[in-house]
Amino acid sequence: MSYTFQFGQILGYWPQFLQGALLTIKLSALAMVFGLTIGVVCALARSYGARPVAWVAAAYVEFIRNTPFLIQLYFVFFALPNIGVRLDPNTAALLAMSINLGAYSTEIVRAGLESVPVGQIEAGRALGLRRLQIIRFIVLLPAIRAVYPALCSQFVLTLLGSSIVSAIAAEELTAFANSLNMQTFRSFEIYLVVTAIYIVMAFGFRGIFAGFHRLVFANRG
Amino acid sequence: MRFSFRRLALALLPAIGLAAGAVSAAKAQTPDEIIKRGKVVIAVDTTVPPYGSLDSSNQPSGIDIDVANAIGKQLKVPVEFVTVNSPGRIPALLSNRVDMVIAIFSITPERALQVSFSIPYAGQSAVLIAPKSVNIKGPDDLKNMKVGVTRGALEDGALTALNIPGIQILRFDDGPSTVQAMLSGQIDAMGGGDYGEIYLRKGAKGEEYEQKFPLRAAHFGIGIRRGNPELLQWLNTFVYSIKNSGELDAISRKHRGGAPMIPLPVF
Amino acid sequence: MLREFGSNEIWFLVMAARWTILLSLLAFVFGGLAGLVLAIARIAPWKPVRFVVSLWIQVIQATPMLMLLLLLYFGVNMLGVRIDAWTAAVLSFTIGTSAYLAEIWRGCIQAVPKGQWEAAKALALDFKRTLALIVIPQAVRMALPPTVGYMVQVVKGTSLAALIGFTELAKAGAQMNTVTFQPVAVFGTVSIIYFAICFPLSMLARHLEKKLQVGTLRVQAL
Repeated sequence: MSYTFQFGQILGYWPQFLQGALLTIKLSALAMVFGLTIGVVCALARSYGARPVAWVAAAYVEFIRNTPFLIQLYFVFFALPNIGVRLDPNTAALLAMSINLGAYSTEIVRAGLESVPVGQIEAGRALGLRRLQIIRFIVLLPAIRAVYPALCSQFVLTLLGSSIVSAIAAEELTAFANSLNMQTFRSFEIYLVVTAIYIVMAFGFRGIFAGFHRLVFANRG
Repeated sequence: MRFSFRRLALALLPAIGLAAGAVSAAKAQTPDEIIKRGKVVIAVDTTVPPYGSLDSSNQPSGIDIDVANAIGKQLKVPVEFVTVNSPGRIPALLSNRVDMVIAIFSITPERALQVSFSIPYAGQSAVLIAPKSVNIKGPDDLKNMKVGVTRGALEDGALTALNIPGIQILRFDDGPSTVQAMLSGQIDAMGGGDYGEIYLRKGAKGEEYEQKFPLRAAHFGIGIRRGNPELLQWLNTFVYSIKNSGELDAISRKHRGGAPMIPLPVF
Repeated sequence: MLREFGSNEIWFLVMAARWTILLSLLAFVFGGLAGLVLAIARIAPWKPVRFVVSLWIQVIQATPMLMLLLLLYFGVNMLGVRIDAWTAAVLSFTIGTSAYLAEIWRGCIQAVPKGQWEAAKALALDFKRTLALIVIPQAVRMALPPTVGYMVQVVKGTSLAALIGFTELAKAGAQMNTVTFQPVAVFGTVSIIYFAICFPLSMLARHLEKKLQVGTLRVQAL
C-alpha cells in the first residue's frame, strides 16, 4: 500500500468543516423541535381524535415510515414546485427531516400515551382538572418521560440521517466533504475526519439529552 | 442443535470472503488479456444524454455507448456495461471493476494523477443555461442569482472562480439533479455541458431554455488505470482511427441532431 | 430522446427493485450473523470483550450510514484496497445492520430472567451451553418482532447506495427521471414500490408483536 496520509492539508479546511457542522446541528435541532411537535399532535390525534383525523394521522405515519428518506427528500425539493411550493435547499431539507421525524415521534409518543394507566386519567377528572390540564400533566408529560430514551435515539438518527440532504444541494457537513473530495481526491482522510465529527456531534447530543433528562424529569420522581 | 462458536465462525466465513474478494473480475490489463478473457468491461453514465442515456427499451444508448461498442467491435469481444455516476468513475477504475471509463470524463491534470486518459474522442464546452425569458448576457448578470452546478464539474470550477458577488451556487451530486432543479424552477440558471441544452429545450413543459454564454471548454478521454501503456497506446490508435474513418462523425451526427464532431486536439 | 412515463418505464422500476431486495437480503443475512456475534460478545463473561464491543457498537451507531459507504467506497479505494460498489454497499450495510441488530438482540437476551441463568449454573452448564440451550431459544421469541421491523430499515437504507452510483431502485428512479422529467410520477412510483416491500414487513412485525405478546421493544429508523 503506497498511500501517504495527508491529514494536514485536510485539517487546514477546519473553518469550512465547522461551518458545515454548524448547519448540520442547526438543521437537526430545528427538525427535532418540529418533529416532536408533529409527533405529539399526531399521537394525540391518533389516540383521542375523531376517526377521520386518526385515520389521516395513521396514513401519514405508515407512508413515511415505509419509504426511504432519500425519496421523501427528492419529493419535497423536485416535485413540490409542481404545485407552486418552491423552497431553498436548506428549508426543503428541514421540512423533509421534520416530516420524517414527525412520523417516528408519533409512533413513539403514542406508545407512551398507551402506557399511561386509565385510572390515572380518571383520578385527574375526579380532582376536577380540565381536559387540557389532564392531557398536559397527566397524560403527555408521563408519556414522554416513559419514552424519552426512544425519542432521544430517534433524534440522534435524525442527526445522522441529515448527511443525505447534500443530495439536494444543502450545504451541510457532508456536502462540504463531497466538494472537498472532488477538489483534492483525499477521500480517505476527508471522510474519516467527517465521520469523527459526526460521532462527536452524536455523543454531544446524547450528553445534552441526558442533562436535559436530569433537569426536567429526574426531580419529579 | 448444539451451539458452537466454531460453527458460528464458519457461518461467518462467506462475509469475510466477500470482503477479501473485493478484487473483482475486471483485472485484465493489456488488450491481449481483454481479448483472452472474451469481454471488455466499460463504465458508462446513463444519465447524461446525448452521451449516455436509456433508450425506449431501457438499453444504454448515446455517443459514449457507441464509442464503447466500437471498441468491442475492434477487439472482437462483447462489451459489458457498468453504470457509474460522476464521482464513481475513478473508484470504478481503481477497484478493478471495469477496464475503462467512457463517461463524459473530462481530461484534467488532477484526475490524471489517479488515472490515465486517452487522447480526446469528444469535446464540449461547459455553458451557462437559463430560461429564454431571463436576461443574461455575461457573468455580471448572474449577480444575486441561484445557479445550479454539478459538484466538482467543469462549470463548478469556472463559476466559483468568477467570484460573482451575491451569486448562490447550488452544488448537486450529479447532472440529472441539476437539470431537475432547473426544470422545477429551484434555480435561476445552471452550468452544464452544451449537450444539456438539447434535452432541456425538449424537456421543459412551458419554459424554453437556451445557452447564454460559454464557461470553459473541455475534452473527454477514455480513462484507464495507470501503469498500462499497451492499452493506452491501443486506445489512442483506436481514437485516431475512428476520427480518420469518419465513424466518430457519424456517431456524433446520430446523437447530436446532425452535428459533426468538433475538431479534437491530440496529446 | 424525451419520452412519456408509461408501463414500460414502470416495469423498468419494478425490475430495478430486485437489486434493492437482493442488497437488503445480503445486508440482513451478513448483518444478522455479525450482529449475533456482537450481541453474544456484549454479554460475554469477559469484561474487556464487553467493553470493546460496546464501544464499537456505540461508535457505529453514531456514524451516518452514508459516511460508512463513502469511506468504504471512495476512501478505501484511494488507499489502494480495491473495493467495488457492490462490495462497499454490502460491507457498509452489514456493519451498520450488525450494530443495530446486536443491540436489539442483546436486549432480548438480557430480558430472559436472571433466574434462568442461575438455574443453569446450578445444573453445571457453562456459558456456551446456557446461552445455546436455555437463553437463546427464549430470546428468539422476543426478538422476532423487532427484527422483522428492523428489516424495513434495512430495505429503506439500501437507497443510500444510489449516492455511490449503485443502480438499485432509487438510482433507477433518478435515471428514469432524466429521460421523462416527470418527478411526481417517477418518484411516486418509486415510493409505492418501496411501500409495497416495506409495509407488509411492518404489518408482519406488528402481527408478531401481538401474537407473541412481547413488550414494546421499539425499533429505530436509520
